[in-house]
Amino acid sequence: MTKLLAIIKREYVQRVRSRMFLVATILGPLVMFSFTVVPALIFQINAGGAQRVAIVDETGRLYERVREVILRAEDEDKADDEQSSVRTNEEMRNGNLKASARRPSSVDDESAYILEQVAPAGRALEDVKRELNERVRRNELDAYIILPRDILETGKAEYYARNLGDEDAVRRLQDRVSEAVSDERLAARGIDPQLVRASSQRIELTPQKAGAAGAAGGRGGFGLAFGIGFLIYLTILLYGQVVLGAVVEEKATRLTEMLFSSVDTFKLMIGKLLGVSLVALTQFSIWALAFLLLTLYGASATGSSFHLPRIAPSVVAYACLFFMLGYFLYATIYLLVGAMVTTTQEGGQLSMPIVFMLVASLWLAVPVIRSPTSSLAVWLSLIPFSAPITMMARIVTEPPPAWQIALSLLIGFGTTALLIWLAARVYRVGMLMYGKRASIPEMLRWVRQ
Amino acid sequence: MTLTLEGVSKSFDEFTAVKDLSLQARRGRIFGLLGPNGAGKTTTIRMIVGITAPDAGRVEFLGRTMSPALRDRIGYLPEERGLYKKMKIGEQLRFFAELKGMSGRAADGEIDRWLERMKLAEWKLKRTDELSKGMQQKVQFIAAVLHDPDLLILDEPFSGLDPMSVETLKAAVIELQVAGKTIILSTHLMEQAEKLCADICLINHARKVLGGSLREVKQSYGRNTIALRVEGANGVLADTTLIAGIKQHSDYAEVQLADGADAQELLRRLVSAGAHVSRFEQVEPSLNDIFIERVSAT
Repeated sequence: MTKLLAIIKREYVQRVRSRMFLVATILGPLVMFSFTVVPALIFQINAGGAQRVAIVDETGRLYERVREVILRAEDEDKADDEQSSVRTNEEMRNGNLKASARRPSSVDDESAYILEQVAPAGRALEDVKRELNERVRRNELDAYIILPRDILETGKAEYYARNLGDEDAVRRLQDRVSEAVSDERLAARGIDPQLVRASSQRIELTPQKAGAAGAAGGRGGFGLAFGIGFLIYLTILLYGQVVLGAVVEEKATRLTEMLFSSVDTFKLMIGKLLGVSLVALTQFSIWALAFLLLTLYGASATGSSFHLPRIAPSVVAYACLFFMLGYFLYATIYLLVGAMVTTTQEGGQLSMPIVFMLVASLWLAVPVIRSPTSSLAVWLSLIPFSAPITMMARIVTEPPPAWQIALSLLIGFGTTALLIWLAARVYRVGMLMYGKRASIPEMLRWVRQ
Repeated sequence: MTLTLEGVSKSFDEFTAVKDLSLQARRGRIFGLLGPNGAGKTTTIRMIVGITAPDAGRVEFLGRTMSPALRDRIGYLPEERGLYKKMKIGEQLRFFAELKGMSGRAADGEIDRWLERMKLAEWKLKRTDELSKGMQQKVQFIAAVLHDPDLLILDEPFSGLDPMSVETLKAAVIELQVAGKTIILSTHLMEQAEKLCADICLINHARKVLGGSLREVKQSYGRNTIALRVEGANGVLADTTLIAGIKQHSDYAEVQLADGADAQELLRRLVSAGAHVSRFEQVEPSLNDIFIERVSAT
């Protein structure tokens, strides 16, 4: 026991104290942030500010409608944004709707468009177009739309712009104009467009689990299964190589013989696995704590209340168990690879299939969630390499019988123990003839020796 | 008897590394495990320290069959030199002591004492990669002796060390021997072995070819070598019934007598031939000579 503790302590202390750990702990969230949040922010940047659009209305009636539609759409967008960010805050949503109702119908600074009506005023359309083209060229205008007299019948209008690359913008304007035209058509037949809009509002289906009194809400559970899978994936991606490096370390520093004469390899393998796992746990705790503090601070600063999703305690317990199973199982494969190779570079190549297996089981979770009682789902949730993710998916969608969960855990942790034993075996025998990587048949022979 | 090997064999696939080897190492004596490269010395040591299990035979230590608990009473300096590169010397030594079942606190005092003894005290807080190779080797030696083992196995301990360090290390080894430890010294440097070892075992091609106390081994080789400085005796030295071989050194010759020839007879023949003899001395064969003779014979 003293020896095992000594190994765990060494692996842990040496790694946590290293400069690499400090750098990774600080840079990790920054990298994550830059991969997720920054692209989203960049996508939102509207470098050019509001688009200046001139509308040549030959019908003389449509300009006001288009303007109205654009304003209404912008209000709806804003309300949507706020609604989704504070979904639970009923009061705020109501307040917002009232605010939008009171909103003056003028185009303000925040608007994405600056509209301008151009009256043909008896001039030929060609002259008007020439003048507008000239204004676009002088950069006084970004685009103009011509609404022909017969637009209500033909449904065709023309759009001229300096930049036709932003297809999104074209589509958006098209939507607005067609809504305006359809309002005008309805009005022409004596139907109130407001009435039509109100009566054609979409229905929202609220998912509720049958039989369960609002425990693990369907959608939350869905996310949880993928969340566990992703967390395993992330941890393995970050720490698989570290486990591998820890096993190869003594080979590279020619310390194997010294260690082998003092401690048995099974203990050595377990010590390394646990030591590195504690490092991972430390790093994740730091991140989680920092995230929690930031969130709480952010919540109190903006005055909005912070809600944790409601998840049943049993599901949380299962999530922890299956996360641990997944992490240890995959980390142990890295252990085995480390035992086979002599350098980390070699190990890197050999560990590619591990990540593939992990990603594959993430994908396989999709059919499992769709039909959690199918025989495919049952098998996948018992096979150790896909069990952590697929069994979790079954637990949150349609809980399987307890014996299946128990069997899955038993097989999984059994496989892990077997893999550690195998790694210890391969490590010990392989060390006696090092200098080359073990081939699979050689490995099998070593195991039997 | 501290350590006994009885009929120990080990082979890897087709290759026989050690065949039917028996030896005994006694308390308070240095035992020389000798042999050319690839003879099976390292495999023998690995079987003693439990890195590999013998295919056949028994390893007995302190009167009992070798077990993991008993292995903590062994100190081992492998021929492979290595330490954790980024770890401080003091912490590293503490780790190795703990791996031998010693408590960290008990180790601390010993670490200071040994670092002082090896003239490395000021390096305790330095990392391995700041030390010279020779210093690292001394640190590794400390790691082998820190837990006060009953049996100390040193595999080529002096290779690559400067003369000063060799003396420091040698003094430490002798001190441990005097303190009653059993020491196995594996080497192919016969001069070292001759000076330090009380008992030897010479192995070649996986088999023991010679064994026993150094005294006995040398005596069994008889006094048939003569150091000779002589002028004008060419005819006598050419007689093959008398002389088996001559090795010329800078100012004397080493003469190997033929089987059944007598040293006194040679001296008589030289004197009667009118040669001028300024040195005539019966000498023991050096361990090196015995080594070369036995290794080339097998």
